[in-house]
Amino acid sequence: MKTFSQYKKFSLIALAIAGLTFTSCKKEVTPEPTATTGSVSVNFEHKWVDLSANFTLNMEYIHPVTNDTLNFTTMKYYISNLKLKKADGTWWTHPESYFLVDVENVSSTKLSMSNVPVGTYTELSYTFGVDSTRNVSGAQTGALSIAKDMFWSWNSGYIFLKAEGLSANSTTGSYSFHLGGFSGANSTLSTKNVVFNSVSTDLVVSSSHESEISMLVFPDKLWNTAGSINTTNTIHMPGSGAKTMANDFVNGIEFEHVHN
Amino acid sequence: MVFSLISTPIQTFQFKKLFSGMRFFCSMILVFVLFSCKKDNEIVPVDDWGFKKPSYFPEPHYTFENNAQTKLRFSLGRDLFYDSILSLDNSISCASCHAQTHGFSDHNVAFSAGVNGTLGVRNSPALSNLAWYPTFMWDGGIVNIETFSVGPITNPLEMHESILNVVGKLNANSAYRSKFKLAYDVDSITDQKMLQALAQYMAMLISDDSKYDKFKKGTYTFTADENAGYFLFQAKCASCHTEPLFTDFTYRNNGIDATFTDLGRGMITQNAADNGKFKVPSLRNVQLTYPYMHDGRYFTLSQVLDHYATGIQSSSTLDPSLASGIPLTADEKLKIIAFLRTLTDYTFMANPDLSEPIH
Ligand code: HEC
Ligand code: HEC
Repeated sequence: MKTFSQYKKFSLIALAIAGLTFTSCKKEVTPEPTATTGSVSVNFEHKWVDLSANFTLNMEYIHPVTNDTLNFTTMKYYISNLKLKKADGTWWTHPESYFLVDVENVSSTKLSMSNVPVGTYTELSYTFGVDSTRNVSGAQTGALSIAKDMFWSWNSGYIFLKAEGLSANSTTGSYSFHLGGFSGANSTLSTKNVVFNSVSTDLVVSSSHESEISMLVFPDKLWNTAGSINTTNTIHMPGSGAKTMANDFVNGIEFEHVHN
Repeated sequence: MVFSLISTPIQTFQFKKLFSGMRFFCSMILVFVLFSCKKDNEIVPVDDWGFKKPSYFPEPHYTFENNAQTKLRFSLGRDLFYDSILSLDNSISCASCHAQTHGFSDHNVAFSAGVNGTLGVRNSPALSNLAWYPTFMWDGGIVNIETFSVGPITNPLEMHESILNVVGKLNANSAYRSKFKLAYDVDSITDQKMLQALAQYMAMLISDDSKYDKFKKGTYTFTADENAGYFLFQAKCASCHTEPLFTDFTYRNNGIDATFTDLGRGMITQNAADNGKFKVPSLRNVQLTYPYMHDGRYFTLSQVLDHYATGIQSSSTLDPSLASGIPLTADEKLKIIAFLRTLTDYTFMANPDLSEPIH
């Protein structure tokens, strides 16, 4: 039967294609997630001053240090380069780890990592901002896409944090802080380590469910030492002012707990 | 450089030879396997077209990493460069302020008009050999040719558009969607691909066929004046306007002001020691790119030379090498100008491959 022999021929060819494709493309094949990995999310919860008040946009707050009245319309920032320290002291690095945490978009406040090898982890490391390499590289995608409007067009580099809003204490009625800077004395990049068992338990990654790391973020910390927006209501470039605010903000981020 | 846009890699496959049934099928498999494994950076040049470093140029800064050079991408970038779709009200394109006939600078105006006719605050520089630029703008604020175009597109004094809107407009345009599909194999246009396409065109703005270049290649002999001017230039100007790009890409205060309304490099570094410093501009095609300096204050090359000879303004950031000016006789000035004219590259300014595409 002709059709049968044709069929046989075809299946041989198909096999050959499969063989060729697999062998010739070896370097492109990424391992499929197997039961030896699990998922971890890092949740950034936003609070005002203490745990009693949730932080949201379009809500009036009084600043505890400056007494300024602040009503945020924008609050977003980059967290990048997540790493987890295994019990044996080695680090697991999350690939392409760039997140734009935007208070306006709840799903963006949950940083999800998949393909994390199962096991026990003792520390999380994260970076506020975007590493210097990506600031000077070509056009990027994803969280780093320039369409996210977090890139300084005239002074190349990512805006690490945008806090904007309205305030009666501002001479213009509004405020706009675009903080960033990745090099030299004005760098606002900072990397923080969280030791889980300092306040909680070690992180256990399993293939059966997602483990969670909860972080608390206090946007009021931006003005911990910066002074009233009556004096400065706008920062749109790297510099010492941006550095003070960014450092106070990052130092104010707290680790809450691990939920295995 | 002259190159043609006709042949594409696919033409190198000899389809005529793949005649019947099974043999055709098997060949297609082979083609498929070859293509499926080809990584972005492995596109094989099939003819003479492409980025070529002139032998006497240094290594380029931009290497098309993650944006392998192809003709389709280049011509897509050219379409974008000449298309006012990049501006808020579809009124101006990159070429409005960077005209090929003027060495890709503006049409001999000090300040360029953006959308609604608003004037900018700096002179539109001539563009050439951008693949060799480590930084862009008079103050060097932009550090990558791919992210460069975000500057003019979003500047309220220039195209005054948002990247998100531009990407939206491009996606709403079926011609662009199919061009991006062909060039970058994307179903929906992203800001990254748009910026990379523009970079493909910008990197090909290679000026290497002026009299000076022909002299370097041994196909032109300078006249006596040009030759004398060349020696004077090497002695008095080349420490900053370094051959063969005619800039060393440093930031200097060349003494045009004693106090600064435009802080220049200082605005980027926030360091007062950089106030009044500007990127040393390339002098390629300088004969046609007047007016000169970051604010277009001089209209002629002799005014520029008068400045260097007798007009240096002192300030704390003045380049030390200019502290007592550059002494020049009237005759020396003429000879230097004769040399500067050898930097005019008519091949570049008439190269049809860089010109506005005709659709
Ligand atoms: C409204 C006029 C205008 C438009 C439109 C415009 N430019 Fe420019 N261009 C300028 C001016 C002015 C400068 C100098 C700006 C500065 O240094 O602050 C400049 C600088 C540049 C430079 C830097 C050159 C150097 O020596 O560092 C490049 C490259 C460039 N433009 C390319 C483009 C591209 C690509 C587009 C379109 C996406 C574009 N321009 C649109 C006016 C314009
Ligand atoms: C110390 C460094 C230095 C030296 C030496 C120097 N220049 Fe310049 N030149 C500059 C800088 C910096 C600018 C841009 C200044 C500005 O726009 O504020 C410039 C601008 C120019 C321009 C304007 C180009 C344009 O497109 O606007 C010309 C022309 C020029 N120089 C020619 C010369 C000549 C000819 C000599 C030698 C007689 C010379 N320069 C020596 C640093 C230098």
